[in-house]
Amino acid sequence: MSSRFRLFDRTAVMGSGYIFAMVNRMQMLYYVLILPKHLIHPYMMAGILGVGFLSQINLLILAKYLTSNYFVLGYRGFVQLFSEKVVRLFAILGIFFILIKVIVTTLGYVEIVHQFMFPSMKTSWLIFVLMASGFYIASQGMEKTIRLSIIGFLATIWVILVYIPYFLPPIAETHHLYPLVPGEVSLHSWYGLLMVWSALSGPEYLVCLGPWIGPKEKILKGMSIGNALSVFEYLVLFVACLLYYGSPYLEKISFPVVNMIRYLQSPVFERVDLILISLNMIYFLYLIALFLLCLYGAIRIAAGRINIKTNRKGFLGSVIAVFICMLIINGWFWREGEELNVWVTLQLWLGAITYLLVPSVLVIAMRWKRGRS
Amino acid sequence: MKIFLSILCILLVFSGCSSPFVENNTVEEIAPVTFWSLNKGEGGKLEITTVVPPVTNEKKKLFTLNVDLLKQGKKEFNLRFYRELKLGQLRMLIINEKLAKKEVITLIDTILSDPDVSPRLFLVLVRGSFEDFLEGERKVQKNLDYYLYRMFRHYERRNQGEMSIVNLHEFMEKVYSHYSDPVLPIFKADKDNFTYEGTAFFNENKYVGSINKREDQMFQLIANDHYLKNLPIPHLNVSLGQVRSKVIMQVDDQFKTLNIQVKVKGRIDEYRGHRNILSRSEMNRMTHDIESYFQRETVGLVKETQRLKIEPLEVGAHTLSPLVHPMTRREWLDHYEKMKVHVKYSVKIEPLSL
Amino acid sequence: MFRKKKRTAANQKKNEEKNRITHEAVTLDLLKQVTAKMDDAEIVQRQTNNGVSFSLVYIQTLIDKERLNEAIIQPLLQSKEQTFIQGISTCSVLRIHAIEEAKEHMLFGSVLIHDHEKNEWWAVKLENSLSRAIENSETETIMYGPKDSFTERIEQNVFMIRRRLPVTELKAEKFQAGSNTKTQVQMLYIEGIANPDIVEIARENISKVNFDLILEASNLSAFMDDHTHSLFPQFMQTDRPDSCAYSLGLGKIIILLNNTPFALIAPITFFHLFQSPEDYVHRWVIASFLRSLRYFSFFIAITLIPLYVALTTHHYQMIPLQILYVLMESRTKLPFTPFWESVIMLVIIEIIKEASLRMPTKTSQTIGVIGGIVIGQAAVEAGFASKVLIVLVGISAIACFLVPNYLVTKATTVLQFLILILASFLGILGIAFGLILLLAHLNGLSSLKQPFFAPVAPLYWRDWKDLFVRAPLPWAKLRPEYLKTVKKWRVSKGEGSE
Repeated sequence: MSSRFRLFDRTAVMGSGYIFAMVNRMQMLYYVLILPKHLIHPYMMAGILGVGFLSQINLLILAKYLTSNYFVLGYRGFVQLFSEKVVRLFAILGIFFILIKVIVTTLGYVEIVHQFMFPSMKTSWLIFVLMASGFYIASQGMEKTIRLSIIGFLATIWVILVYIPYFLPPIAETHHLYPLVPGEVSLHSWYGLLMVWSALSGPEYLVCLGPWIGPKEKILKGMSIGNALSVFEYLVLFVACLLYYGSPYLEKISFPVVNMIRYLQSPVFERVDLILISLNMIYFLYLIALFLLCLYGAIRIAAGRINIKTNRKGFLGSVIAVFICMLIINGWFWREGEELNVWVTLQLWLGAITYLLVPSVLVIAMRWKRGRS
Repeated sequence: MKIFLSILCILLVFSGCSSPFVENNTVEEIAPVTFWSLNKGEGGKLEITTVVPPVTNEKKKLFTLNVDLLKQGKKEFNLRFYRELKLGQLRMLIINEKLAKKEVITLIDTILSDPDVSPRLFLVLVRGSFEDFLEGERKVQKNLDYYLYRMFRHYERRNQGEMSIVNLHEFMEKVYSHYSDPVLPIFKADKDNFTYEGTAFFNENKYVGSINKREDQMFQLIANDHYLKNLPIPHLNVSLGQVRSKVIMQVDDQFKTLNIQVKVKGRIDEYRGHRNILSRSEMNRMTHDIESYFQRETVGLVKETQRLKIEPLEVGAHTLSPLVHPMTRREWLDHYEKMKVHVKYSVKIEPLSL
Repeated sequence: MFRKKKRTAANQKKNEEKNRITHEAVTLDLLKQVTAKMDDAEIVQRQTNNGVSFSLVYIQTLIDKERLNEAIIQPLLQSKEQTFIQGISTCSVLRIHAIEEAKEHMLFGSVLIHDHEKNEWWAVKLENSLSRAIENSETETIMYGPKDSFTERIEQNVFMIRRRLPVTELKAEKFQAGSNTKTQVQMLYIEGIANPDIVEIARENISKVNFDLILEASNLSAFMDDHTHSLFPQFMQTDRPDSCAYSLGLGKIIILLNNTPFALIAPITFFHLFQSPEDYVHRWVIASFLRSLRYFSFFIAITLIPLYVALTTHHYQMIPLQILYVLMESRTKLPFTPFWESVIMLVIIEIIKEASLRMPTKTSQTIGVIGGIVIGQAAVEAGFASKVLIVLVGISAIACFLVPNYLVTKATTVLQFLILILASFLGILGIAFGLILLLAHLNGLSSLKQPFFAPVAPLYWRDWKDLFVRAPLPWAKLRPEYLKTVKKWRVSKGEGSE
């Protein structure tokens, strides 16, 4: 084994396939599992489509930055665009955002496992195993982690096919889909839309992956297909939930997307849900690894150590720090059973904000810079 | 790499016999009960019964306990039996009619919230004493619970219209749905027999009444399965087979009348009357008789549901459309109660050949 | 501590180098010193017809004695010319000067001739061409298709490949590896197809090998691997010249070693380990079916037993009731938990497998019968293992042999154990952990610095034609994309381009 420990090496540029897979899997993370419960009404299908369209516009803005020369330069691009101090400030903010995102998604997954697979398990164990695996994947380096996105995508995309039986007669009840027009618009439905927006967030983290992503012409294409596929998947899952539960019942179910799979039985294994929950771990792990790497990068920038070589100790240290944060939150501040607890709500808002602001801030900064020079 | 290896080492140490932090579910050490029979016990308590050890060919015993809470029953079992009781394989919940009149939904909620229990659990109402039946049958039939389960599963699979088989999810979905009410199969049990009696009706989650076997056939035909494998009509001396139905329900705009059109296709299985059904005109008369019989019966069934103010037939679902905001359940039921009912059958019988 | 060791190794190398550099002239005395106590070395002195005396130095076990008489001794004895060396009727006659040269030639089967008068030294190649005949391949047997396989002689092996690819672009570069074995290594590739970067990496890797004994292909690959600790081979080994030729044609590199009948193919991907030459013999639908069967059985081999453990220890609710009956029945009276039961049975199976492998064929059959039937049956009757497990162990043991690559077959066993531990720990979730980490590991591997999980990650859709299915050959008009070949088209462009 080579004694070098390099995390941020680059030997090849990742094409549109990776961007597509990454965007799609980032958008399918965690929130989609609780989303239907908060959308409830059939007419929110239009809401999903609408927000999906807005997200597409947002991606157009994001693509403006991603196709600029600043993006390819990665960190140096940021420094050119802002100044080093501002970048460090952003990095500190980024640490916070990424930390919350990693913690909430991991704990969310742990909660699902705890609820459906091992109700008697001590969750800290599972967190440890997840973080250790995430560390293993991440320590192979950024390039290989990004490459894993394709595997994660291929390994989980077919899960959507499992929902086909819910569209077929014995389970599906068409009248659950009515009415398609809203009677009155309540605050709740606005909250649902916010949730869709936040669930669609994630692609903004592509800005951290500058050196690895290209070629320019294909970035937008990859992102658009990824986004469209996510919106399609949201629709499929939501409609399946509606057909299966009906709005009034849906409101009362926690993790409806997971819960409904319990109804399926394959001839060899009953309770297919256990297999699917375990399988879905691959993209949770993949994203944990990716965000750990981003976090480590952000810490290095914030600490002003960007020019010093990456080393195992530093990386391990930051992973352990995340792990400890997670344990603390899990132990004391995570209210299980309550799906929208403080942390999930916090991430809901943070995700929505970053998704809204990151692309536009970058593009405005680019305009400003061009105006000055 | 070193860390990965050390994790593996930790795993190695901790695996061994069983993991220290997950429940022990080793198959040979547990008793995965397949059914629970719930009855009204003494002093307002719950009487729960099952047969242990489940899922083995060992000699079976009947376990009955009087408890306040359902889950308390589980604990009591464990204190008395050498294997730990587990609910993950619970396949049937057999509820006594008397108990059902008092409460159903709390029991079902308890079961539903257990992540181990599959939502495919069959729910059954029983008239008479299921315990007596178990006691009697236990000596004759070794794997009684298993065969019962296979029976339910058999009829569930293809909806062949012999029984209304309802599982936990279907029941709950109907409870919460505004335009439909759940039903359950009802069986009669005594020392020697366990027979299908008909369908029990619920008003949301309250048990309100039941229909007998004859009426049940109509229910299967127009609401539940839309198929009957066998439909005997004794007073016409005829039995129809492989009856398929297509039902069109229409409610007028003022919610005053309900039109039900049913197209039925089938063939004559058996005829023991005096008509020469090989002749065309006689056959037509016969068909006409069958149609009017169906109409009478169906009207009776609908009237019954109107009287009980319940919606097992899901008539209300036919009033829904994508663009109209639905009314509340109460509003609808008020309309439904007063609705005039017109039923029209058109029966097509496949030509008889000998 | 390690650093110190390294330094001494470096010193040693430097000293050796120094020795080599001293160009001491060859003398008879020196050679006598060198061959002292080498009883198979012979030094013969003769005279030609016209009285010029000469000596022959050779190691008799390394040379062909008959040809020595025919081609050297007789012509020399009858030679009347002054420059008697011209009388020698073999193709390779070399003038040598330094003692090191002399030693090397002598050890590779040359006869050294000393002309006393002119004090000139010559080396004549008279290698003993003793070798076994070309036989059927025993490691990769197929029904149809060419039957020849490599032998221990590298010339013969190169010949078999060259005969299949009579093009001048087929280059064969020679290297030497192993300070004591001085193994001849040849790297073959087709110039104009194989990517020059990959060739360069291979060249560099081979010349970097620094070890005393390179006896077989695995020895060499151990020094060329990018990932020493991986369970998976990063070089494919084959003894079939036809698969070598096929790989060369696709743009891969073949590395041949003298004295081993196995060639190394690189760069490979994980999916190559599941391909058999027979895939290209069958009709494509059947070949595709067989290939997917191999992937499936690999999956079965590593997950079946863990699944049994996971279900019986953690997820009894996943088992259909009918099967649960069977399981409960067979497990009720066993003394061990499912995990230990499986570990014991798997270890026994491995012992049987290993034993029957090391024994001669006839004995191994007996071992198979005794091991498989008797022990299995007895274990069930004695109450050590459940019937269900015996069946599953049997299935998984056979399933792992479906993978054509023997090295992977052995790797599956270890993988199975690792996943088994995880399964006993976390049930289905543990198996998922195992598989995900396996995927992540495979994703991180590389062969000659090329990604190991190639047509999947990085994704090359076009190469999927020959991945899980084997599409009809006429469809494969392009060489695999992940090899980044110089020439992309396999058909001449006029008719082949779309």
